[in-house]
Amino acid sequence: MNRTLIRILLAGIAVLAIVFPLFAGDYPLQVARNIMLYMALAISWDMLLRSGQISFGIAGLFGIGAYAAILGVVRAGMPAWLSIPFGAAFAALVALAIGFVILRLRAMYFSIVTLALGEIFRIIVHNLHDFTGGPEGVVMSQGVIFGGNSSALYWLVLGGLAVAIAASTWFEKSRIHFALTAIRNNEISAKSSGVDIFRWLLLAFVVTSAIQGMLGGIFVMSYGFAAPDVVFSADFTLLPLAMALLGGIYSTQGPIFGAILLGLVAEWLKLKIPYGHLVVYGIMIIIVILFIPQGIKSLVKKTLGRESTAPEGGHA
Amino acid sequence: MIKLKTTGLTRRFLGLVAVNNVSFSMEEGEILGIIGPNGAGKTTFINLVSGIIMPSEGKIEYKGQDITWMPAHQRARIGIARTYQLIHPLENLTLIENVMVGSIFARGHSVREARRRAEAICRELGLTRLERDTSRLTILEIKKMEIARALANEPEVLFLDEVMAGLNSDETKELIAMVQKIAKERNLAVGVVEHVMGVIKELTHRVIVLEAGELIAEGRYEEVSKNPRVIEAYLGGGAA
Repeated sequence: MNRTLIRILLAGIAVLAIVFPLFAGDYPLQVARNIMLYMALAISWDMLLRSGQISFGIAGLFGIGAYAAILGVVRAGMPAWLSIPFGAAFAALVALAIGFVILRLRAMYFSIVTLALGEIFRIIVHNLHDFTGGPEGVVMSQGVIFGGNSSALYWLVLGGLAVAIAASTWFEKSRIHFALTAIRNNEISAKSSGVDIFRWLLLAFVVTSAIQGMLGGIFVMSYGFAAPDVVFSADFTLLPLAMALLGGIYSTQGPIFGAILLGLVAEWLKLKIPYGHLVVYGIMIIIVILFIPQGIKSLVKKTLGRESTAPEGGHA
Repeated sequence: MIKLKTTGLTRRFLGLVAVNNVSFSMEEGEILGIIGPNGAGKTTFINLVSGIIMPSEGKIEYKGQDITWMPAHQRARIGIARTYQLIHPLENLTLIENVMVGSIFARGHSVREARRRAEAICRELGLTRLERDTSRLTILEIKKMEIARALANEPEVLFLDEVMAGLNSDETKELIAMVQKIAKERNLAVGVVEHVMGVIKELTHRVIVLEAGELIAEGRYEEVSKNPRVIEAYLGGGAA
């Protein structure tokens, strides 16, 4: 496919996504919001993964952003719109502080610590009863952002997704791509090429945490409510992970494909088998990971690649 | 002009002294052979001067500046480059992208400028399949790519750790000529570790010999190869 065609196609999809609320009802809008939220989380998780660091801390940073946003509104009287960038900034600051310590860890050790951090944040929120509302959570007496208008809420999540896609594209097209890929492949030879490993890992961790915090902010502003078991739910870690793996990692498109597919299937299963949908969903994820470990993206690439094998030395 | 100098450089691993009190220097335009039997500390020595590991004792100076404790990525930026005995191609990047990394991070060039410079280096080394995945390159291409990656740092000091290993005699000849040419054109100080003495003889101006971490001889290859201590180190005490 040539580049102009792809650009036109992408622009078409973007326009469709923007005008979707003009003809869709509340239910499809709700489904779309959900899918886009998880999609953005999946993209942010993949962005850090490109450095080789596997984070299980998505829910932790999502929850931190969520609480920062809602407490900003409830306790500090912040306007709702401002609370979302505030949630992002707060999550970024937390990531910066803990990043200095945990980014010295690699592989499994990093993963376990990020998982534990999410749990620690949840417990802190749980126990700071007077400030956070404890296990019962906080309700925004001001009501939901945009008065709960479903089109506006949809555009808000779409905006969050656009930020995630833009950041991911920036990671892919700039020198960050070279830094993270080099680090993932071999840290020693990356160093010998002048890559300051810690600095790039910190950048990736802070940026992806900011995105996760922003999405947490968007989430609570859309529901007007936060409770530890809701915003720190393991779903916010596991579903994005499954989506990215299903779609294909180390790219922006992979998590997008994966989120659309898993999101729609989950919704459909919920309608067909209300009490067993999660079991089927789980089995489906296992089958896909066993048989298409490279994700859907690789299948698409292979199918397209067969028709147009790049000539020797040609641009792949 | 002296580019690189070590004084009493020592590195211990637990009880083992891998590099022991090595003092040496390298001049610009000089190709220096670093030889010695297996386990003599040659690679550890290169790891020390390139900053991959830190010394237990001693001092490293680069153009008069003390760089003993400087991290590896900064040494890459000020002009020290190296290749690895165990090749580490960046597998998810194409050949040209592998080369670009040094140009971007060691030199700070933009991605576009890095591509232009990497292309020039690859052309110079006779690498043509620039968009290939590294998993589909020949051994000669990989060896050249390793050199190209080091050259992308635009170094003044270059260490080649067994780049000729695994090549046939024609390929070795081609690479010897290439190293001589790039060293001359760039006025580089080159440190070469090789096990094949023919390569050392043909390529280097001067050799240092390491045995059990110690520098036991230094001089032109012809002199050093007649040195009884060197012969003993290679053949073993029992055989002498």
